[in-house]
Amino acid sequence: MKTGITRRKLIQGTALTAGAAAVFGPWKFNRVYAAATDKPILIGLTHDASGQFANSGQAEKRGTIMAIEEANAAGGVLGRKVEYIWADTETTPATGSRVAERFITRDNVAFMVGAIQSGTANAISQVCQKYGVVYFNTNSSSPTESAKNCHRVKFVWDGSGANFAKAAAAGAVDKFGKNWILLTNDYVWGHNTSKATAEILGKLGGTVMENILVPVGTRDYSSILLKLQQAKPDVVATAVGGDDYKALRQQVQDLKLDTKMAWLSNQLDWPDIYGAGSEAAFGVFGATWYHYLDLPGVADFVKRYQTRWPDTRIDVPGNVTYNGYVAMRELLRAVEDAGSTNNISVIKQLEGRVMKAADRMQHHDAVIDPNSHHVQQTIYLATRQDKPRDDTDYFKIVNVMAPETVRIASESECHLESYADTPTYEM
Amino acid sequence: MDFLFNLLPHLVNGIALGLLFALIALGFMLIIGVMEVINLAHGSLFALGAYMALVIVTPEGGLDAPFLEPWFGIGIIPRYIAALVIAPVIVGVFGMGLELCLRRTYGKDPLYGLLLTFGAALVIEEGIRIIWGHGEYVLPVPKGIRGGFIFADLIWSYYRFFAAAFSIVMIGALWCFIEKTPYGAIIKAGAHDNEMVRALGINLPKLRLFVFAIGTALAAIAGIIMAPIWGIRPQVGVDAVVPAFVIIVLGGIGSFWGAVIAGLMVGMIVGLTAAYYSDWSLLSMYLLLLAVVTFRARGLMGKVSVLER
Repeated sequence: MKTGITRRKLIQGTALTAGAAAVFGPWKFNRVYAAATDKPILIGLTHDASGQFANSGQAEKRGTIMAIEEANAAGGVLGRKVEYIWADTETTPATGSRVAERFITRDNVAFMVGAIQSGTANAISQVCQKYGVVYFNTNSSSPTESAKNCHRVKFVWDGSGANFAKAAAAGAVDKFGKNWILLTNDYVWGHNTSKATAEILGKLGGTVMENILVPVGTRDYSSILLKLQQAKPDVVATAVGGDDYKALRQQVQDLKLDTKMAWLSNQLDWPDIYGAGSEAAFGVFGATWYHYLDLPGVADFVKRYQTRWPDTRIDVPGNVTYNGYVAMRELLRAVEDAGSTNNISVIKQLEGRVMKAADRMQHHDAVIDPNSHHVQQTIYLATRQDKPRDDTDYFKIVNVMAPETVRIASESECHLESYADTPTYEM
Repeated sequence: MDFLFNLLPHLVNGIALGLLFALIALGFMLIIGVMEVINLAHGSLFALGAYMALVIVTPEGGLDAPFLEPWFGIGIIPRYIAALVIAPVIVGVFGMGLELCLRRTYGKDPLYGLLLTFGAALVIEEGIRIIWGHGEYVLPVPKGIRGGFIFADLIWSYYRFFAAAFSIVMIGALWCFIEKTPYGAIIKAGAHDNEMVRALGINLPKLRLFVFAIGTALAAIAGIIMAPIWGIRPQVGVDAVVPAFVIIVLGGIGSFWGAVIAGLMVGMIVGLTAAYYSDWSLLSMYLLLLAVVTFRARGLMGKVSVLER
């Protein structure tokens, strides 16, 4: 009686092993399923519904969903319907990590889109890089997200705090003076934005009198506002966002300090101000888009938004909704152009991708920097609208900055993982 | 000398802030003191009070029917006063509903009551989101208490001083109610020994319902007063319940004046650290709590426990 391995068993075993290796490894994640044309493309949406950026999270969700619905109305992507699942990341990095893990390992999403708070975006992007899932960070603005926290799979869609600081600083120094006080939200975006502001100010010959840290969750600014009055800076540059900014703004207006000091608010997100009236838009601030830009496509986009979301309190879309919309739309286009949902193919479509100004409803073409994966785009500087056209007209655009004029050097700190070090992923 | 001169406005500001914190904690203190129930829904009811005031004061709050136009056409002052009266009554009714739900947990593991009020907090907050959405609202206030005035070369907020003065009035009114009325005497007796109160023929369930109603109404009043400072958002209640809890423990569970003094201390320390070490401002109240309870576990004016005698 013969014992041992027969030739039949050897061939069967080799075939099984080869098949398992193709699906599972051997030593990195390689999650590839045969692309079935009737299987929807599932996208994981990570938009906050609670915490500091709850309002903005829902605003960007409206934009991403609009883009998905428009793609489906046009026949889907690669002949497949686009579906989404959403979870509240609670403006918390730990929750962002957990949601990303669940979406990828249990729900098998093809892509991930979302995040406003930069710490949450960073946490999500680390999970996405681990599995190789392409992730569009729609609205976080910490300069680090496209610098030392960059990843091969991550694409940063919003202007960074450094872009806005560079756009505004020179004009502010000339007009108001060189002695600045910084108000800094005590987390990654605030710190890095204020750091960038301080560096730019230093190059312009200005001085930071003091950097006042504002813990996340600060609601009472009375002491800080008294201190500002005592110090009498030329400019107060704020890197304070979300609910913290709303409380600051309310208290500044109550004391009419908006007219007594020069304020530079870095970036002003539309959900953080909408409903407070145009007088709340004090100082000079940056934005990537505004619903009254006199450009083709803007009015139509506003109308489509209002038709799709008739019951939302924010009657017109702002920068946050816009970023969600254009990001999702471009992702789906890149997938279509790649001809597959394979992550590396999609990434290669996106790197260096030029997006025409007219298509993006901005003044200048935008480009996805292949070295940092940060969308280099038009930056608008605005002040309060003194002749509003209607109840929604808060901003007066005072300057339009081309992307190359607001590029920042710190993105050279970005070292993207190689393609070989990025796991293959395709759903 | 310059340092003292610069410090003075921050001391004044700290006292005003402390009075606001004391107002936030009062309702919380009352319910814990009498019923030994930690009402984690205090913050959500605080938020609900602000939203109820919004509905009464402005059509933006949701009541935008044509028959209400005469109401919204009258001056802001009567609407604001109406909000200060009606909104706490409405929230007090909610509070009574919550107390009815809590009855099954009395006499059982305190965790049940804690979980129930935590669940209620989540339900109320999500209910607010469903009805009013995620966005922020601004509560209009009468012109006379808006804006700032200049004193010692600094701009001060009228509203903040109004809020501090209102807090003093509320603290005084509650003290008079507890100390000078028969109902207050019954509440104090209930806090001390509720079995004896029951034995004396007082309807304990009605007493608890009444205390819950007052406690939650106080939360609503605090929400209305704080709304122009903190804004009106669904999650604003979290900003209230955490300091309220710190103040109650710091002042001593069940102690009225303990809560007031602790509120002032928290206001002072948060105000002063915000001025000079701002990154420590939120942490400072927890450090204060740690410092006090390390040496005096019952808080500043809490009851002496049997173990301490």
